[in-house]
Amino acid sequence: MRRDVFQAIADPIRREIIDTLSGTQMTINEVSEKFEISRPAISKHLKILEECGIVSVTQKGRERFCYVNHENLIPAFLWIEKYHKQWEKRIDSFENYVNQLKNEKKINE
Amino acid sequence: MSDLKNRTLTLEKVFEAPLELVWEAWTTSEHIVKWWAPQGMDLKVLEHDFRVGGKWKYAMPMPDGNEFISEGTYKEIIEMEKIITSADFRPMTENVELHAYFERQGDQTKFTFSVVHETEEYCKQQEEMGFYNGWASAFDRLEILLLSTK
Repeated sequence: MRRDVFQAIADPIRREIIDTLSGTQMTINEVSEKFEISRPAISKHLKILEECGIVSVTQKGRERFCYVNHENLIPAFLWIEKYHKQWEKRIDSFENYVNQLKNEKKINE
Repeated sequence: MSDLKNRTLTLEKVFEAPLELVWEAWTTSEHIVKWWAPQGMDLKVLEHDFRVGGKWKYAMPMPDGNEFISEGTYKEIIEMEKIITSADFRPMTENVELHAYFERQGDQTKFTFSVVHETEEYCKQQEEMGFYNGWASAFDRLEILLLSTK
């Protein structure tokens, strides 16, 4: 199975896990408490996220903490940006053109 | 039908122009050539049959000699109100639907534009690429994080 950022975010639960962990560190138990699905299911998703390089685990004393490697999300981030920007730019360019038309009409009147 | 919202990119704007002008600029080929193509690129309107069932086809010449083709078929047109068309932008975005809604607000025009991903296969492909909504928060945070670590 493919293990990359796109695989990591292909599943809605995994997206929620990334959201939950974003900017913080939590144990697997703490993550599971935030979800209604079972702890083994959360573990499985965390394992996939780890294999995809999106989540890492660090040992602190007796606890293991999960955290997000934000820099590895960047490829997905750039892809979405690019796609959205393309449409935003086209609509912006339409708006500019409409304003230009309006001004031309005013001058002609 | 599965959740339409999950399959949609939506942009909303209020234009500082009356509905008639906005409609004309969006729907007539002499105007479309002025705004459709990205800055610095030319647009050729090969077909523009603005009626239900009518086809549109635009070509943008690329620096490498190829042409980037956008084309589709109008599915629904309600004068001064609504346009639904199929659209293929090869190779980037195939088999999507474009929904454009126009609403008069005095001298302004409210404009709502959506790109709806139609096929299941396409949705899946896009979902794998993380295109869907519901991601704004994570990405906003990521952006803040990236800026703060620079």
